[in-house]
Amino acid sequence: MIRNLKEVKDNNFDITRSAEEVRNLSFNDHVCLGCGICESTCPVEAITLNAIAVDARHRISNDVYFSGHEKIAQNFKDEFDVQRVSIDESKCVLCGMCSGLCPVDALVLTIDGIEAYPHYNAFSEIDDDECIYCKRCEIACPRDAIVIERVLPDRADLVTGEIDVDDEECIYCGVCEELCPAEAIVVDKETGRESIVIDKDKCVYCLVCKKSCPTNAIKAICRACNYGEYDLDPAKAAVKGNSVIDSELCVFCGWCEGVCPTDAAKHKKPFEGSIEIDDDKCQACGACVDICGCNALAFPVSSGPGSRMEHVIANNDYCVKCKACAKACPNGAITVKRTEIDHTPISSTTWKDALDAIKD
Amino acid sequence: MPKHIASGLKYLAAVKLKDAGESHQAIAEELGVDRSTISHYLNGRNLSWNSIDVARTIVDLSPRDFLKMTEAIFDEPEQSRKIVNICRERNFEVSIGDSCIGCGLCVNACTMKAIELESLKAHADSIQCCGCQLCSDECPTNSIKILEI
Repeated sequence: MIRNLKEVKDNNFDITRSAEEVRNLSFNDHVCLGCGICESTCPVEAITLNAIAVDARHRISNDVYFSGHEKIAQNFKDEFDVQRVSIDESKCVLCGMCSGLCPVDALVLTIDGIEAYPHYNAFSEIDDDECIYCKRCEIACPRDAIVIERVLPDRADLVTGEIDVDDEECIYCGVCEELCPAEAIVVDKETGRESIVIDKDKCVYCLVCKKSCPTNAIKAICRACNYGEYDLDPAKAAVKGNSVIDSELCVFCGWCEGVCPTDAAKHKKPFEGSIEIDDDKCQACGACVDICGCNALAFPVSSGPGSRMEHVIANNDYCVKCKACAKACPNGAITVKRTEIDHTPISSTTWKDALDAIKD
Repeated sequence: MPKHIASGLKYLAAVKLKDAGESHQAIAEELGVDRSTISHYLNGRNLSWNSIDVARTIVDLSPRDFLKMTEAIFDEPEQSRKIVNICRERNFEVSIGDSCIGCGLCVNACTMKAIELESLKAHADSIQCCGCQLCSDECPTNSIKILEI
């Protein structure tokens, strides 16, 4: 009989069955949302979702803890780092159902190296023609999946004029040097070696030097005045760059599109539905905030010292309806409903049933 | 000894093919032996009757035992697949239920290469099935039913 081989590296692992075709299921821990769809889908009960609520809390506490519960976070400072998902390789039959239903591809099944299984119709993209490289999405992305590389124009190209020094008038007092906000002026005040140098690349034509010069030695040449029009070349002023979304890390939450001031960022979620918090049940423990991979849950900003923590707030727009929070909530205060699932066509009855099973 | 039994099985296969109307040349090509050997076989020469008896006993075993014995004797999957297909007396009807998850374990288990995966589901070619039921033993969802017809 052909046996499965398991290779574990940190919290990631690969399960391989090599027969006529080589089937490989690989788990990527840092991609996993902890939604548990794989656990409930697995037809041979080989998958277990681990105690990830505690794990998530620890991870955040090592870096920045943003649920506002530093006191709780301190209790979990000890080493606690587990695989979010465990798979028993003696039970796994490598059918790939977990991979097909994983909303973020934390589990990927390949057959002979090819990813051939059905997928959710989800995507995220940034249109470089529309993007102004403001980096709003890069900062908002909860998974640090976006990198915006921008190239700024030369500052000298954006300045509306130039200044010059009349050496006859200059007394090398250094007043302009001290006042220049751009540190563009260097004055040598040493007797016999006097000099003044203006770095045109640094000068922003603010005219502080001209206004402060006691001898009126600084001449300003305003391009706007000379030519009747700013001689600014819009092409030279353009911010260039490119944007990259790490498709492995992206969870299709839509923060990028939400914060994008232009129409550059677009996304589509695998699931549509709703998320609701029962305020009476919520004890503001913050487990949901810790576990949420989309930053869709947050506590309201405290209204003042000594005030009681308010209930958690869910932002439906950025929630991917993965239900990890609902699983983590100890009080059953969160109700997430998946009403629509967009998936590539499947003809297999079992697979269809599996997809129907995760729909509300 | 195994070689003699192998010859016995080849003999039985040659007789069956002959009965089906195949020419000596075609039988020789099918079984991977030269034409004169086939002629000898079919004329009842160069083969002990005992090894033919053993071969007959093997063919009459349960489908799984027949398959496993043949595999052990030939130690060459392609060859044993041919012998089993030609010599087996029984036919089977394979049905794979909708509970199939498309894991492919049956595909690996099937020596006869009767099962293929398509659209996340296993599909069996009943004509190739030898009835060994190795596939249904492996199936994690009990989706394979094999009936003798």
